[in-house]
Amino acid sequence: MRAEELTAPISEGAAGTAGGPSARAFQGRGVDTTRLLSLQIAIGAIAGFATTVIWGMAGGGSYWPAWVWFGFGVPIALNVALRWAWAQPKGFKRRISVQAAISAVLWCSEVTAWVLAGRGGTFWPIYSGTGYLVLLALHAAIWGRIPPEREAVLSARIDQLTRTRRGALDVQAAELRRIERDLHDGAQARLVALSMQLGIAEDRLSDQPEIAAMFRRARGEASAAIAELRDLARGIAPPILADRGLEAAAEALGRRAAIPVEVDANVPWRTLPVIETAAYFVVAEGLTNVAKHAPEASARVTLDLDTERLLVVIADDGPGGADPEGGGLTGLRHRVEALDGHLTVTSPPGGRTTIRAELPCGS
Amino acid sequence: MRVVIAEDQALLREGVTALLREYDIEVVAHAEDAAGLLRIIGGHKPDLAIVDVRLPPTFTDEGVRAAIEAREKHPGLGILILSQYVEPAYTAELLATGEGGIGYLLKERVGEVRTFLDAVHRVAAGGTALDREVVAELVGSRGPSGEAAALESLTPREHEVLGLMAEGRTNAAIARALVVTLGAVEKHISNIFTKLDLPATDGDHRRVLAVLAYLRAGGDA
Repeated sequence: MRAEELTAPISEGAAGTAGGPSARAFQGRGVDTTRLLSLQIAIGAIAGFATTVIWGMAGGGSYWPAWVWFGFGVPIALNVALRWAWAQPKGFKRRISVQAAISAVLWCSEVTAWVLAGRGGTFWPIYSGTGYLVLLALHAAIWGRIPPEREAVLSARIDQLTRTRRGALDVQAAELRRIERDLHDGAQARLVALSMQLGIAEDRLSDQPEIAAMFRRARGEASAAIAELRDLARGIAPPILADRGLEAAAEALGRRAAIPVEVDANVPWRTLPVIETAAYFVVAEGLTNVAKHAPEASARVTLDLDTERLLVVIADDGPGGADPEGGGLTGLRHRVEALDGHLTVTSPPGGRTTIRAELPCGS
Repeated sequence: MRVVIAEDQALLREGVTALLREYDIEVVAHAEDAAGLLRIIGGHKPDLAIVDVRLPPTFTDEGVRAAIEAREKHPGLGILILSQYVEPAYTAELLATGEGGIGYLLKERVGEVRTFLDAVHRVAAGGTALDREVVAELVGSRGPSGEAAALESLTPREHEVLGLMAEGRTNAAIARALVVTLGAVEKHISNIFTKLDLPATDGDHRRVLAVLAYLRAGGDA
C-alpha cells in the first residue's frame, strides 16, 4: 500500500514535467509504452499519407511531405531506441545505453535532414557525430572505469565467500565424520573390550553369584555407556548415510520414527556429502516435529534428485498450525540457506503441514 | 569349530580371539581388511567368519559387502557380523545371500559371554542369530505393505514369538524365554503361519518365510 502511495505521484510528476511521449517510455513503469508507440505510428502514418495526398493534388513537384514523415519518425525512433536501452541491466550498462540510443537517434536525424535538404555542401553531421562519440567515450571512461572495478571487487568477494563458505561446510562435514570415527575407534572400542573382560570374569565367577552379580552390573553400565555413545555418534554423522546414501538413511529414519512413515525416493546417484547431510537432517528434524506435534498423524517423505537440485518434502496429515519460526525449523532453515537452498513450511490450521527444502546441487 | 576374524581394531581382535580360545573355539586366522578376509577364508576354509561391518580403507560397510562376496564363493560358510550400529537394511541383504548361518550382533554383545558363544555356535551350525535391538527395531517398524498388515493382525504374544524366531531361537528356547510350555509355543507358531498365509509344507521352510516376511516389513517399509 505505502509503496504505491509513494511511487504513484512521483511517476506522474516525472511524466508531467518530462513532457514528451518518449520521456514517458523512458520512465518505463506505469506507462504502456507499446500502446504509445502504436499511437505514434498511427498518427505519423495518417499525417504522412494526408500530406502526400495534398502534395499529389497540388500537382507534385519536390516531395516536401518527406519532412512530415521525418518529423513524426524521429519521436518513434527515439521511443524504440529508449525501449531497447531501458531493457539493459540496471546500472552502468543501462546509463551508457540510454546515452548511446539518444545519440544515435539524433545523429541519424541529422543525417536524414542533411539528405532531405539536398545533400549540399559539407557533410556537417560529421561534427556533431564526433561530438556524440566523444561524450560517449567520456562517459564510458569516467563511469565505466570506477564501477567495473568496484563490481569486479565485489564479484570476486562474492566468489570468495561462496567458495570459503562451501569449503567451511565441507570441512565441518568431514570433521564430524572424523569425530564419529574417533568415537567408534577409541572410546567405544575400549568400552567393548572392557565389557568383554567383565563378561569373562562374570562367567568365571559363576560359583560366587554375589560377586558375579556385581560384575554383571558393571557390564550393564559399560553397555549403557556404549549405547549412549552410539546415539551420540549417530546424531553427529549417521553411518548409514555415508554407507548407503540418502534413500536408505531416510528409510532408516522412517523406521525409527514414532509415527508411520512412507518414503518415496528418486535419488539415482550420490550427491555431495554436505548436501546429503543437510537433507538427512531436514528429514530427521521434520519427522521428529511430526511425532512431537501430531502423534496421531502419518508422514510422507519425498526425495527427488536431478542435475540441478535435491528436493526434500515432508508432509503429514496432522492438524497443521505449526510455527514456521519454531526453534528446530529455524535451525534447519539456516542449514539449508547456508547451501544456497530454500526451506518453506506451510501449515494452515486444520490442514496438512508440509516442509519443503530445495538444495541446489548443480556443479 | 574353525573361526576367522576380520577386525581392524587390535584391541577387539585380540579380545575376541582370547575369549573364543578360552571356550575352546579355534581361531585359525585374522584379517584387518576386506581383501584379507577373502584371502583367509579361501585359504583356511573356516566354519565361521566373524566380521566387523567397518573395515579399512573406507570404514563404511566393507565388512558386509565382503561377507556377501565370501558367501557367494563359499556357500554354507557361517557369517557373524559385529556392528557398532543396528541397521536392519544390512540384515535383509545378508539373509538374501542364501545357504548358511547368518548372525548380526551389536559389538557390546561379546560382553554377554554366554549369549555370544551361543550365537557363535548357532551361526556356525547354519542357524540365525539376530541382535535383539535389530529385532526390536523391525518389530517397532510399520509400513503399508500387505505383509505388514498381516503382521499387524498378530497378537502381542505372537509378535514376541516371531521376534524370538527371528533371533534364531528354537521352539524349546522360545518356551524357556517366555516361560511357557513347548505346546503353547507350537500353537503360537501355527497361528503365525496361518495369519501370514504360509502353506503347510515343510516346517523349517515356513519358519524362514515367516521371519523373512517379518524382516521385509521392516526392511522395505
